Parts: sequence; C-alpha cells; structure tokens
Amino acid sequence: MARNPPIIYLNNAATTWPKPPDVLEAARRSLALPVFGSGRTTGSQGEDYITLAREALSRLLAADPPEHVVFTQNATDSLNLLIQGFLAGQEAGCHVLTTALEHNSVLRPLHEWERQHGIRLTIIPFEGCFVSPAAVRAAIEPDTRLMVMNHGSNVLGSVQEIARIGEILHDHGVYFIVDGAQTAGHIPVNLRELPVDAYAFTGHKGLFGLPGVGGFYLRDPEAIAPIRFGGTGTDSFSLLHPREMPERFEAGTHNYPGLAALAAGVDYIMSAGVEAIAAKAERQTGYLIGELRKAPNITIYNDRPSLPIVSFNIQGMENDDVGFILARGYGIIARTGIHCAPLMHRAIDGGVGCVRLSLSWLTTDDECRIAAEAVREIADNAYSQVSSP
Amino acid sequence: MKEYLLDAPVTEDFFAYLGNFGDVEALPHVGDGFYKFEKTDWFSIKGFAGDTTVEVRFKKEVKEMTVDFLYQLFSTYREGAVDLSLLKRREAAVGERVKTHLYGP
Repeated sequence: MARNPPIIYLNNAATTWPKPPDVLEAARRSLALPVFGSGRTTGSQGEDYITLAREALSRLLAADPPEHVVFTQNATDSLNLLIQGFLAGQEAGCHVLTTALEHNSVLRPLHEWERQHGIRLTIIPFEGCFVSPAAVRAAIEPDTRLMVMNHGSNVLGSVQEIARIGEILHDHGVYFIVDGAQTAGHIPVNLRELPVDAYAFTGHKGLFGLPGVGGFYLRDPEAIAPIRFGGTGTDSFSLLHPREMPERFEAGTHNYPGLAALAAGVDYIMSAGVEAIAAKAERQTGYLIGELRKAPNITIYNDRPSLPIVSFNIQGMENDDVGFILARGYGIIARTGIHCAPLMHRAIDGGVGCVRLSLSWLTTDDECRIAAEAVREIADNAYSQVSSP
Repeated sequence: MKEYLLDAPVTEDFFAYLGNFGDVEALPHVGDGFYKFEKTDWFSIKGFAGDTTVEVRFKKEVKEMTVDFLYQLFSTYREGAVDLSLLKRREAAVGERVKTHLYGP
C-alpha cells in the first residue's frame, strides 16, 4: 500500500469519471461562444447542441422520432415528470406496481403519491437478482394502471427481463415506465423493439456526460400530462404552454454545456460500440468477482451481473470502514451504504448496506487487479481489538 | 462527518489511549495500520497511523455536548502526562447529559 496512491475511481454507477477528452472539449467549446438556442437569440453562428444531443440519443437508443426524446436534469427528474404526469390523468386510488429493486428516484415519488393521493402501491419482491415476469403477472389487478421498474439494478448490476414484463403489462393495459439510469450506454437498448412506454436516462453515468442533464423517451406524448410550463422560445404569444413535442415537456433554458457534452459522450459510446462496452464490463466484473470469491470472509451479493457493478461486504467489518480504508489507504474510490435502494438492502444484507465497486469503459484491467488485491488484503486482515495501556 | 488536521501523525498509541473511553478496532497490518474508535452515542474517529488527518463522525443530536470532549482527547494526548481520572470525571458528567438528552431522565 503506497502513501498517496493515484486515484482509482470505481464509483461509476454514481457518476462516471474520467470523462473522454471529446466530452470535456465539447463542454468547453459550448461555453467559449454565445449559446445558440432557436427562438432565444438573433445569433446563428453557434451549434445547435439541443438537436445534436436529441438526435444522438435517438440513434443510440433507437428512439423514434428524435422529438420524443425529452431533456431534463437527470433520471430522477425524468421519473418524477413521467410518474406524476401519468398519475395526474388516472382515477384516485388506482393500483400501481413497482419492485423492491428500485432506487429512491422511483420509490419516493410513488410513496408520496400513495400518501398524498391514495394510490395503492404493490412492491414486487425479487429472487436472486431478478424480478420474475410471473410475479409481475400475479401482481396485476383489474385497476392496475402503471408499473415503474428499473432496467438495470444500481446495486446488483442485474438487467431485468423488461421485454417479457412489458408484454405482460401491455396484455393487461398497464402503462410501463422503465428507469434506464444504469443501462443507457452500458448495454444495447432498442426502444423500437422493447415494449416500453417511457424510458428514463441520465447523462452523467454510462453516457459520459456531465451531472445536471438527463432525459426520457416517450412513445405516446398524450399519455403523460405535462406538469412544467414556461418559456420555450416558440409560440410566445400563447399564454398556454405548447403541446407539441418536445416543447410539451421542456420549459425554460436548456443546459447547453451539458447537452453539448452529452452529445459528445453518446458519439464516443457509439464509436466504441455498446456491444464492446458490455462485453468488457462482463469480463472485468467476472474477474473481480472471481478474485473476491477467493476470500472466504467476503460476501458477494451479485454473482453474474450484466452491468459493471460488484457489491460485497467483508464479514465483521462495517462497509463504511471498508470504503474508508480503500479510499485513504489505497486511493480506490468506491461507494458504501445503501445506494438509495433501501428495500433492496433490507432484502440482501438486512439493511446495513454494502460496498459497491462500479466500473466504466475507461476502467483498466490493471485498476481491477489493484482493486481486487486491495479488497482481499483488507479481508485477510479483518478486525482485531486494540487494548488500552 | 468532519475531517480534523492534527499537529502530528496519528499513532497506534493514540488509539490505544482512546480505548480508555470507548471501543477501538484495528487492521494493524493494512498499510501503517487502520484504527477506528467508537464511543457509542457520542462520536467515532477513524484514521491511519502515520496520517495527520482523522475522520470524525458525531451523533448530531448531541454534538454540541460532546465536541469539547473530543478536543480534550486530542489536546491531552498531545501534551502528555494525561490525568485519566480527571478525564473520566468529565466523561461521566457529559455522559449523563448525553443520556438524558437522547433517552430522557
């Protein structure tokens, strides 16, 4: 263990770092010139970052048409707009499904609606790392209107069977919102084929963008009531908000540097190839899990993740202490605690939380090797008591 | 959570001294040694031997009652010739206030 070792950043499921040079350059370039926003300036010499980003996301996710890609602040913002916008059009007390795998970006909006508007909420449990389509089918009731679930778990790295689940939901007329915060940019996503009504994403994780920009794809705009209104730079004499896409859901000035960076991040991913990104992630997480499994006192919570996430605890040690030692002793940045997924942690570790190592396309094999050695060294030296003088 | 910059590097002896007032756990063979002091309901201190910073996490409801005692632990150790009986009396007095505040009289 070296004093002041270089940083090995393994908290990419929270926010990816480092960013590709093209992303940094795009953000810098967007701030170096006045912004060009259609309808908001007489200038015309700048790039239309909003359209560039919208078209890039449309290509990456096979999300047609590009105007149905809406920009927001992040996945949480997207999920709030989608969940609240959908439920605003439903009868009071309707039934909603979600799962125990969810992040608070789903759980909190739904629980707030349960408390404030009386929806009936069913939380579907998971087995292993997955929610079974059969369990979803069994949970549907005559007045079930909505299901919200993640595509990929931020703790277990498992990718859910949303194709099969979506078919079942649609057979019963249930609207399907998918939280893609952990899958966009990490695995191939084809929204042309997936039976998903809305898919939320964020820019700062697998898409290599900056924090503060995200979005969603919406198949049928009429299914979601807009809940934000304001300036759009279009139809400004109207005192009512435009209903056309994407203005229907976008009010106020966009995050131009964020969108410029996001477009560059998506271009970077597409040039690397999402299949190659997914294959490298599977190989590296497989290596990490294999190494950690050699220590008998390490509990691994996800044996075969599809996303680059490895979650574990060292028996007898608090996960927060392991994170502290990794950071201070080895320069390895991880994340500890419950990762905003309280129901999942109650199920897998009794609610104490765990250590999460999460990789990106830019994580090297050498970094994985160093991280595995560090975790095993900590496990090999599990706690001893210090006696007072 | 607060990070404290100390005048001198942390030592194993320092954590052993803290053990008079709470529980100390260690991974002495990880680097120069990782140490953690836990005083339930008051605060915890984590650090590596040889580092000049430690991380302190207070129980926020009683931080105003316990923070002075933390400074006393730091300063008395640095000055040497610790009067443990004096510190123990102070610990007991603060402990009564903490207990009452958290759990009632």
